[in-house]
Amino acid sequence: MTLVPLASLRPGDAATVESIDAGWGLARRLLDMGVTPGERIEVVRSARFGGPVEIRVRGSILSIGRGVAMKVLVRPDGEPTV
Amino acid sequence: MAAAGKEKSPPSKITVALAGNMNVGKSVVFNQLTGLHQHVGNWPGKTVERAEGTMNFGGRTIDVVDLPGIYSLSTYSMEERVALEYISTEKPDVVINVVDASLLERNLYFTIQLLEAGVRLVIALNQVDQAQKKGISTDTTKLAESLGVPVVPMIAVRGIGFHELMTAVVDTAEGRVERKPVRIRYGAEVEAHVEAIAEAVGERSIGLPARFTAIRLLEGDDYVRQLVAQTNEKAIATAEENAKELEKEHGHSAATVIASERYELARKMVSASQSVAPTAQTFADRLDEITTSGALGYIIMAAVVASMFVIVFKVGDELSSLLGEFFLSLEPSVMSALGGGAVGTLAWGAVEGLIAGITIALPYIVPFYAIMAILEDSGYLARMAFMMDSVMHTVGLHGKAFIPMVLGYGCNVPACLGCRIMETDRERTLTVFLTTLIPCAGRTIVILGLVGRYVGLEWALGLYAFDLLLVFVLGRLAYKTLPGEPSGLIMEVPTYKMPHAGTVLKRTWFETSSFVTIALPLMVLGSVVLKALEVGGLLASLSGLLSPISVGLLGLPPVAGVVLIFGVLRKELSLIILAALSGTADLASILTAPQMIVFSVVTMFYIPCLGTVVALYRELGWKKALVIILSEVALALAVGGVLSRVLH
Repeated sequence: MTLVPLASLRPGDAATVESIDAGWGLARRLLDMGVTPGERIEVVRSARFGGPVEIRVRGSILSIGRGVAMKVLVRPDGEPTV
Repeated sequence: MAAAGKEKSPPSKITVALAGNMNVGKSVVFNQLTGLHQHVGNWPGKTVERAEGTMNFGGRTIDVVDLPGIYSLSTYSMEERVALEYISTEKPDVVINVVDASLLERNLYFTIQLLEAGVRLVIALNQVDQAQKKGISTDTTKLAESLGVPVVPMIAVRGIGFHELMTAVVDTAEGRVERKPVRIRYGAEVEAHVEAIAEAVGERSIGLPARFTAIRLLEGDDYVRQLVAQTNEKAIATAEENAKELEKEHGHSAATVIASERYELARKMVSASQSVAPTAQTFADRLDEITTSGALGYIIMAAVVASMFVIVFKVGDELSSLLGEFFLSLEPSVMSALGGGAVGTLAWGAVEGLIAGITIALPYIVPFYAIMAILEDSGYLARMAFMMDSVMHTVGLHGKAFIPMVLGYGCNVPACLGCRIMETDRERTLTVFLTTLIPCAGRTIVILGLVGRYVGLEWALGLYAFDLLLVFVLGRLAYKTLPGEPSGLIMEVPTYKMPHAGTVLKRTWFETSSFVTIALPLMVLGSVVLKALEVGGLLASLSGLLSPISVGLLGLPPVAGVVLIFGVLRKELSLIILAALSGTADLASILTAPQMIVFSVVTMFYIPCLGTVVALYRELGWKKALVIILSEVALALAVGGVLSRVLH
């Protein structure tokens, strides 16, 4: 089982959200925007200089700051599920 | 609230609330419905904009309230809390939920919560044309069936669907709809917990259905918990117990489980009513790629910002001189009408202040905000926030803070109000502070009119660079001093679209109006006070009083003291008064080059103008406002003092 932070994915990578390791407020916001465990996301682009990650989730594009993206754990496509 | 379908006598007045996610065209719907009959204010005690308007439809007067654009009723943000409070206390007759047809799943996640909150609902399925372009077509009948409420397809920007929408609204308000809103059902486990809590909550304890309250308590919503705790400690205990059990069963927090299931319900409704055909990459997608990827994105951004300033100053110059000539031609007749004497002089002071505001500030502010509104409505500002996020993180903020800071170059007053887009108090305070250090149009007039004109343009540009450096240093300092953790960026990036003229005009007016209603009256007042001091012969003694600072510390001529005092009223006034008091328009004869630089730097930093002070007070309260003002005075004097010694 290899879980990695969302921040470590490259543009074009797809993954499944496993868990959100953040406080109530931040987790709430991510959940409300559609980033829920089990959901598939795709990295559209990644800004330079440690900037945000842009992901496609449920048809919409979200810009997620690097720090926040470190707290979202995902399973990249091709990794076996436990 | 009674379920729809119940017959009741037609109310003479119907109250309708508009609710929906951000970027769904909700404000376009609002503007189309209410036209010019609208009023923008604040929600009581909150720095969240409240827009209201009235319209007539089918012989009825309809009040329309525009709720803030939100993704959930979960009260995490101030906007969400305002919306929930409104629904629970003011109980609108109908809620119009504006949804984006091309992002139906995420939009329905919010719709489901509105259904749970027990409101009478009508769905405005907006932007069906844009959805079509993405290959998405919606069967509105099927969608209406799965929700149990009317669904009206619309293209709001082209005025399509409004009659049908309002017909559905009136029918719903007056109980002439057949369907009943569906009862949202979660999985068996969640349902069991919700029912247990709902029983403990009892009926309508906080103006919302017990079931809704139970779900919120299970999700751990702090605000709802506080409300319930006032009367019903037992329900809280029950909720906590049930949340723990649910967490044990699922391995995720109760909030996570419920959000996932709610999204699953939304997905089912979407797959029952929408079909998607594959489409080729659109122009908007390609534009998105070009403008946000890699170095090219940053080059384009620099070009956009640079051309914005060039256009603003070109257009502003033209408008300013046109308006100036016009008012100049009126001056003799106004002056003679006012007559001489003390009263006449004071009245003339007021007129002068008004003219200065209209001819000097407005011509730059209006085009600036028009361009900003175009950038915002097209979706480019969100891309800027994306690209600037890492830079803003160095001062403990995130990408969104870049937007009010750019607004600051026009006028600090709307920029302070623009800081409301920041989610937490801490970030709002920090952004407001940095925004007041951005040289507005008024300060630009001083910098360009003094340093740019007499010392050299490169020195003037140098001052801007110095300002940015200082913003960076102070931002870092404030970020390290302010308690609390910085929060990160989580922002929807809307698809690029053609800006909508009505929305752009409305936005421009909104930003400009805060200048007109807050800053302009103070300009007029300031000019009157100045004239009074002049008439009373107090200017000279004021200058003497301030000379330890102006002459001793800053190395400026004695006259500068009083000039800087008046710069508080409006920054560009300091330049005009300097010329007036010295009796010459050739400022090089009164100030040396280093003095000009010191003078401009002090003007740039010392106190935000009176209009901004009022904005600071309104946005942050007097304590924080005072801290910001005092620290900026200290900063200006310190930097000015050092500079005057270094440069001499």
